[in-house]
Amino acid sequence: MIEPQGSVAAMASPEAEALAPPPDHRQLFFGMMQVALSAFGGGLSAWSQRIIVEERRWMDNTSFLTGLTVARLFPGPNQINMAVYIGARFQGLSGALAALAGMLLVPFSLLMLVGLAYFSFRSLPLVDRLLAGVVTAAAGLALSMGFKILHQYQRDPVALLLALATFVAMAVFHIRLIPVVLVAGPLAMAWYWPRGAAGPGVDR
Amino acid sequence: MTDALLLVSTCTPKSLGDWANLLAVIRDFLSLSLFSLGGGNTLLSEYHHLSVSEYCWISSDQFADLYALAEAAPGPSSMLVGLLGMGAAWREGPGWALLSAVVAEIAILLPSTLLMVIAALSWNRFRDSPWRIAFERGLGPITLGILFAVGLKILHTADHGVPAYLVSIVVCLLTLRTKISPLWFMAIAGLLGGFGLINR
Repeated sequence: MIEPQGSVAAMASPEAEALAPPPDHRQLFFGMMQVALSAFGGGLSAWSQRIIVEERRWMDNTSFLTGLTVARLFPGPNQINMAVYIGARFQGLSGALAALAGMLLVPFSLLMLVGLAYFSFRSLPLVDRLLAGVVTAAAGLALSMGFKILHQYQRDPVALLLALATFVAMAVFHIRLIPVVLVAGPLAMAWYWPRGAAGPGVDR
Repeated sequence: MTDALLLVSTCTPKSLGDWANLLAVIRDFLSLSLFSLGGGNTLLSEYHHLSVSEYCWISSDQFADLYALAEAAPGPSSMLVGLLGMGAAWREGPGWALLSAVVAEIAILLPSTLLMVIAALSWNRFRDSPWRIAFERGLGPITLGILFAVGLKILHTADHGVPAYLVSIVVCLLTLRTKISPLWFMAIAGLLGGFGLINR
């Protein structure tokens, strides 16, 4: 079975409730727009679970958590991947694009307004002073990203060594991301290749 | 500030009104898309490299501004690329800037979206494949190392001086230890900046 990780708790539904008929493109678009709008204060994954599983009943909780696992595994922003997953499951590529458009339309338009305002007013001294403060908080958030997942690896010295080598390559030797991933990725995959019960790193 | 000015003077901003440049931008974002591990934040130092050092669209300080705005704005992460695209074409006027923003965002999302569609439709076939397991286990530690490097890069980009670093470290600790919304940290740090306590 797939083990979900992270903030969305597994909520086993006591009685198997009937699922709604598969959503069409229009419903996918507006459903994901509802998710995006509900999550304006944050907590996108939780909102998406509430709306997709509980309100609209497009999929049961198990399928939703599978989707979340796939969305986190594959490249791309997690919430956007989740929208793509949901759209693709019901209506293929075009459904994925409908869901993606629904999720992005309002937040992206707002961000464009923010961007236009920024580039128009950034030279005002007050705006510059405010932003000089805001960026320090944003940098604190960026710094916390690595620490947030560090605990997953603290019992695996090889993982920590790989992480350290990657960090040194980028931060000290300024090697670009793509060569780092193309070299370190296959090496790490070879090390963690499943070799049955006795292999390294099997139960992490 | 002087550093940023020196940097700008050493490289000439490339105009996106020029088709060759626009195509180069599309190509660069398209090729980064599939390297967006761990939810997309692994690409931040590449974004900085492209927009500040290679194409000179914006200064390093502006990059920090745009990163903070994208973090503060509601919605999924990774829309920073839209703002970078806007910055890339700002001197050609708002119309070009919007077009460039949309094109950049589509370019960064398209490859990962197509791959995700394939994954969604064929997950049952490869969920137990050794490739899937090795990919998940192997790329995790690499993502960890990249995130530390990216965090440090953003820290050096955003912070100038002791007060700035202090605020960043306090915010980092509070983020890890509490569930306070990041918007509060940004609002308070913004006030500190407004009162002139944090400079750059």
